[in-house]
Amino acid sequence: MRTDIASKKPIWITLAIALVFHTLLLSIQTSRRFDTSILRSWLIDSQGPLEKIVDVGIEGIENIWNGYIGLIHVRRDNQILLSENDRLRIELERREEEGLELARLRQLLDLQASGMGKTVMARIIGKDPSTSSQTLTIDKGSHRGIQRDSTVITRDGVVGRVIFVGKLFSVVQLIVDSQSAVGFVVKSSRRLGILKGNGSSELEMEYIDDDNDIKQGDELITSGQDQIYPKGLSLGVVISVKPGSGSFKAVRIRPSVNFSHLEEVLCMTEHVSEVPVGAAP
Amino acid sequence: MTDRISAFRSLAKIAISLVAAVVIQGILAYRLRVFAFVDLPLILTIYYGFTLGRPVASVVIGTTIGLMQDSLSGVPLGTNGFVKTLLGYLAATAGSKFDVDLLVTRTIAIFLFTLGNGALVSILGLMTGAAPNTNLGSSVWTWLLSGTFNALLGLLMFGYHDRVKHAVS
Repeated sequence: MRTDIASKKPIWITLAIALVFHTLLLSIQTSRRFDTSILRSWLIDSQGPLEKIVDVGIEGIENIWNGYIGLIHVRRDNQILLSENDRLRIELERREEEGLELARLRQLLDLQASGMGKTVMARIIGKDPSTSSQTLTIDKGSHRGIQRDSTVITRDGVVGRVIFVGKLFSVVQLIVDSQSAVGFVVKSSRRLGILKGNGSSELEMEYIDDDNDIKQGDELITSGQDQIYPKGLSLGVVISVKPGSGSFKAVRIRPSVNFSHLEEVLCMTEHVSEVPVGAAP
Repeated sequence: MTDRISAFRSLAKIAISLVAAVVIQGILAYRLRVFAFVDLPLILTIYYGFTLGRPVASVVIGTTIGLMQDSLSGVPLGTNGFVKTLLGYLAATAGSKFDVDLLVTRTIAIFLFTLGNGALVSILGLMTGAAPNTNLGSSVWTWLLSGTFNALLGLLMFGYHDRVKHAVS
């Protein structure tokens, strides 16, 4: 028993000393008799550098994690985002396309409703694969009332005429085709003439003699004398007048219609001799 | 000579672990919110109390780590020192009376020591006027949460200790 007490003494003494030390420490801080800031600052300063080292270490690990290990999935995420971006871009383009198409169709509908006889809206589904002629294929044929020589127009002006009619499809000869000829009248001077295609994107006038007062900027419309195109449809604008062979002038005309941007057209299924003023493109 | 070297090594290990526990606790509590509920110095005090089998050493460890913890916190110096000293002694005593190798004993012990730690620190805070607005009732939930986290972390530490012990033996 004595031995037990003797062996337990150090722990009781140590515990007592430690608890008294802490109690005194607390007491002097509470009563503010002594300034313990020196002890506290010494303890902080002794641990501060270690804290700094550990903090820097953790920050380094964080940087490595964020800069390298955390980027493991970035490549995969990037690919997913890229494909998502592509999908959205295609979707956006499709929507924009639909918007433009809607605007075009609306314009054609306006034209259709403007009192120029029966018309059929058609979509261009093909272009002449050869370079010898300038023709287009449209997705409407005889079943929709399209006939040979039906005039094909857009809001901008004359596109051409139907030269072959199938049951479901038709072929349109553009006015710029080298086989095409359209009777015209100069809007301002009312002079008549014939416009011919030359296979390029422009038109030419035939037999314009030197004393003809046609000039650059003159607007040309269909004359209706060719018995194909109704009178009053826009054909184009004179872009140059130069001396030609013999006593004739070489006159170049830019068509009203931009043939490279055609997508939908209007086919006139009922022949009218003249398009009413205001309805004509 | 070999014994002295061995003793010095053990002492160095303990000293490093104490400093590391306080420093890591301070940094992790700042960086990770969940670490505010963990008390690494307390876990270490209990750990050494259970495993060293030397009450005097446990009291010294409790005193040292408590003071270090106080110096980096806003409480008066001695608050955690007093509590950790007492808990270090109690852990060493419990280690000699109970089978602390059992998982259940360890879990319950760490949980209860955490509750005791929270209660004593709060009471001392009230007594010294350092934390006059402490509501012991609402603090209980914090202690319970802290007890759970400490028990989980403590079990990991003890698990590591057991593996090292087995590897050496």
